[in-house]
Amino acid sequence: MVNELFWIVPVCSIIALAFAWFFFKQVMKESEGNDQMKKIALYVRNGAMAYLKQQYKIVGLFFIVITIIFSIMAYGLEVQNPWVPFAFITGGFFSGLAGFFGMKTATYASARTANAAEKSLNAGLKIAFRSGSVMGLVVVGLGLFDISLWFYVLNIFYPTTLTDGHNLILITTTMLTFGMGASAQALFARVGGGIFTKAADVGGDLVGKVEAGIPEDDPRNPATIADNVGDNVGDVAGMGADLYESYCGSILATAALGASAFYTNPEMQFKAVIAPMLIAAVGIILSILGIFLVRTKENASQKELLKALGRGINISSALIVIFSLVIILMLNLENGLGIWGSIVTGLLTGSLIGKATEYYTSHSYSPTKHIAESSKTGPATVIISGLGIGMISTAIPVLAVVVGIIFSFLFATHFDINNIGMGLYGIGIAAVGMLSTLGITLATDAYGPIADNAGGNAEMSGLGEYVRKRTDALDALGNTTAATGKGFAIGSAALTALALLASYIEELKIGLLRIGQDVISLGNGVNIKTAEATLTDFMKYYEVHLMNPKVLIGVFIGSMMAFIFCGLTMQAVGRAAQKMVDEVRRQFREIKGILEGTGEPDYAKCVEISTKGAQIEMILPSILAILIPILMGIVLGVAGVMGLLAGSLGTGFVLAVFMANSGGAWDNAKKYVEEGHLGGKGSQCHKATVIGDTVGDPFKDTSGPSLNILIKLMSMVAIVMSGLTVAFSLL
Amino acid sequence: MKRYLYLSLLPEALIASMLPPEQFGNYLAVGTKKRTRGQAMFFEVDPDFESNYFNLADIEKLCKPHTDGTPKRSKYFSIYRVLENIPLTQLKKLYLVTDDGRVLGIDKAEYSPKNDTKLRLYQQLCPVNPRVASSLEPQEFAKFITNTSNPISVPKIVFVQLGLHDLAIDPVNGSDENLPFPNIQHLRDCLTELKLAKDKPTKTVIRFMQGDLLYRTIKNGFFVGDQNNFIFYKFPSINELENEYYTWWRSALVLGFR
Repeated sequence: MVNELFWIVPVCSIIALAFAWFFFKQVMKESEGNDQMKKIALYVRNGAMAYLKQQYKIVGLFFIVITIIFSIMAYGLEVQNPWVPFAFITGGFFSGLAGFFGMKTATYASARTANAAEKSLNAGLKIAFRSGSVMGLVVVGLGLFDISLWFYVLNIFYPTTLTDGHNLILITTTMLTFGMGASAQALFARVGGGIFTKAADVGGDLVGKVEAGIPEDDPRNPATIADNVGDNVGDVAGMGADLYESYCGSILATAALGASAFYTNPEMQFKAVIAPMLIAAVGIILSILGIFLVRTKENASQKELLKALGRGINISSALIVIFSLVIILMLNLENGLGIWGSIVTGLLTGSLIGKATEYYTSHSYSPTKHIAESSKTGPATVIISGLGIGMISTAIPVLAVVVGIIFSFLFATHFDINNIGMGLYGIGIAAVGMLSTLGITLATDAYGPIADNAGGNAEMSGLGEYVRKRTDALDALGNTTAATGKGFAIGSAALTALALLASYIEELKIGLLRIGQDVISLGNGVNIKTAEATLTDFMKYYEVHLMNPKVLIGVFIGSMMAFIFCGLTMQAVGRAAQKMVDEVRRQFREIKGILEGTGEPDYAKCVEISTKGAQIEMILPSILAILIPILMGIVLGVAGVMGLLAGSLGTGFVLAVFMANSGGAWDNAKKYVEEGHLGGKGSQCHKATVIGDTVGDPFKDTSGPSLNILIKLMSMVAIVMSGLTVAFSLL
Repeated sequence: MKRYLYLSLLPEALIASMLPPEQFGNYLAVGTKKRTRGQAMFFEVDPDFESNYFNLADIEKLCKPHTDGTPKRSKYFSIYRVLENIPLTQLKKLYLVTDDGRVLGIDKAEYSPKNDTKLRLYQQLCPVNPRVASSLEPQEFAKFITNTSNPISVPKIVFVQLGLHDLAIDPVNGSDENLPFPNIQHLRDCLTELKLAKDKPTKTVIRFMQGDLLYRTIKNGFFVGDQNNFIFYKFPSINELENEYYTWWRSALVLGFR
């Protein structure tokens, strides 16, 4: 039974891809400018592609190994869903493809944006934003296309009927496993991209600015191109893969929770499963509408530029509130208004997290000004106050998510706190609501590095001052949207991970049925059919409560994992940056005429160093993130895994907010001083805030964002490995 | 090959070179192997001027190309009492070099005294380099510091006026935003003392120059003077720097924090 309403989903995904193609062609029609601009753009493009090629080699190898293991588990040991190997590959493939298209467009767009900025600010904004939109639309288009493709195919093999809801549970839990492919790809993209970008940025700055005293984006610095490549691989491909996974993960988890919540009513069950897909599909159309609304007048101020972007996002968000109600009413879902309330709650939660991020990281507000003020007593107090502000800044996002969870749960259950199945569905659909307009929100994120690269291109090509002023204005706007985008990514990751945690139980159910355990015993002679057991029954069966040491051990290890992961990625940046410093020093020493501008630096070598550094350094944290949930499942069983996921989600979410906000606040405290406050550039306060900014770089661009993936990936691994856990756990 | 003569301000030296000013400035700042960097300021001096103090007759003999044909980069002729022995009429352009070797040449200009404030801040550059607060306007200050009837004086002086913003009017409560000077409270004390004193025209703020001169703190330009002469080198406005000398200005704003 594939309802005609379902076809809206693949159609909208194809529309998204068609518009992505349209925007790409529009961007490609523009001129790349003079020969020097073309040359620089080519360097960045080649560097970015060299990085992707290298990364895809390693990721490809990883996928081959994991697919073989999944195949053995599925067809040899028969503890795994037979579709998992294929689903895993397609999830990773589409995520990688989205990153490839997004980055390809971004690297084609930077010189074009710089060239367009020569005509006007609006022309520059249009190209940069349309290029960012390609990333946004490719992510949602491919994500939804993959989901609808699997839904259709699995419906052929497991036909759903109006009388039996079991197949729909099987379909949705099978589809969930393709999230692991997306998760694994996102992990490599985010961690590798984060290490690459900061190694190039920090390493290049340390020698270029500090040792040689040459400005940012100066073509004499051999690491300049690597820095520009890093913006693309970190903030375009990395962010895209992260949000691709959140987007798909939230839709799939909600579908699985919907299938479970309405198990006894197959007709309603089908509607609950396609509701998140339909909301996402309509969100695509509204995102495209929002993209067309982003424009500004010539010589617009910074505020007007921000307003132009805000107009697109706000109108899309307002319209999704209306259209999601229409969808829910059309589907005639049980407690439709309540579920709509959950969707609106998700949207408001995302918006509140974005505002809180802006408040704690923008130097228009007191927290960042306070960090800047603390520079009067030196760098130590800058670090201390930055850490303090970052920690305090976790309150609003955490409380927003908490309130979001409560209200989305209560709205979906008619305020019945005991209806856990429906409540969890409400939480899942809140995450879908938050991510429904990802097409445009991701466009504003991806726009940032394009504008940044355009500024770099203008600088290296020696374009006129007015062009640089325009690209600087576009870049400054990108910095603001990037900070709020990070908050949004973290918030959505938290809600998605929570939905995945709930979906884990559904996977356990399927796992038990697969190994032939049709009945579970709840003690005191109470036996329940596995297929009919509720979430609460499973909690009792696996003794998932705080008095069970296995749960507590899991919580401790999950919390520890967040810190270990952060520490490893931070150290990775330090080591890779050190290699970059050595290389830049070598080039200054050995290549004649670099500093006079007569000798050509070996840009490719720096790109290669960052690439190799990123690839080597990402292996250990990535393996840990994948292995720990598997080992936990094998040793401590379901209770241990639940504890692990709860621990990593709780700690990882808070730590990610803390790191992103501390890093953002340090960055903007420096900018605040550079604007002329507290002595301005060259003052003691400036020196202190520069140190804070350097410390904050890996906080906000490597470790913090990587935690988003960690919390989702560990849930995904647990879900995919649930069959192994129920079959082989030792304790 | 043409020979050039330069008067370096920090440190004070008379240097002959076969490099034209741009290349010489770059060489002074970053050397040949680019393993060093450092700000530099120098005047181009007419190489044909006659001097009994310097041995300039040997300039062609001493400043000659290397054996491989490359030009001689620098030949020091004196590192002591250089400024006092060069007639101010022989000074040509003043060149300001950034840390990484970007060079900006500025020309002599007419100076119209402005008595818009009572308090001023001067960074002396050559032959001594204390930073001094003063109630004297630049031409008066040059005369004052070169007046031999004062207990201490120098024959000639090169200095630059630095911006004080609000502190020039109200040193106690005025905003010190965008003033990157260290020990700002000490500066306020010096300015306040100067404001209250009736017969004290100068007050030393720092005994010697620490670190580089931040070009962005320059108020109007550089001054060279003695009892009889006074020359002004106008520093470009921010607007001119951003639009006409962007590369130099961008480099001047980079701070390596050594």
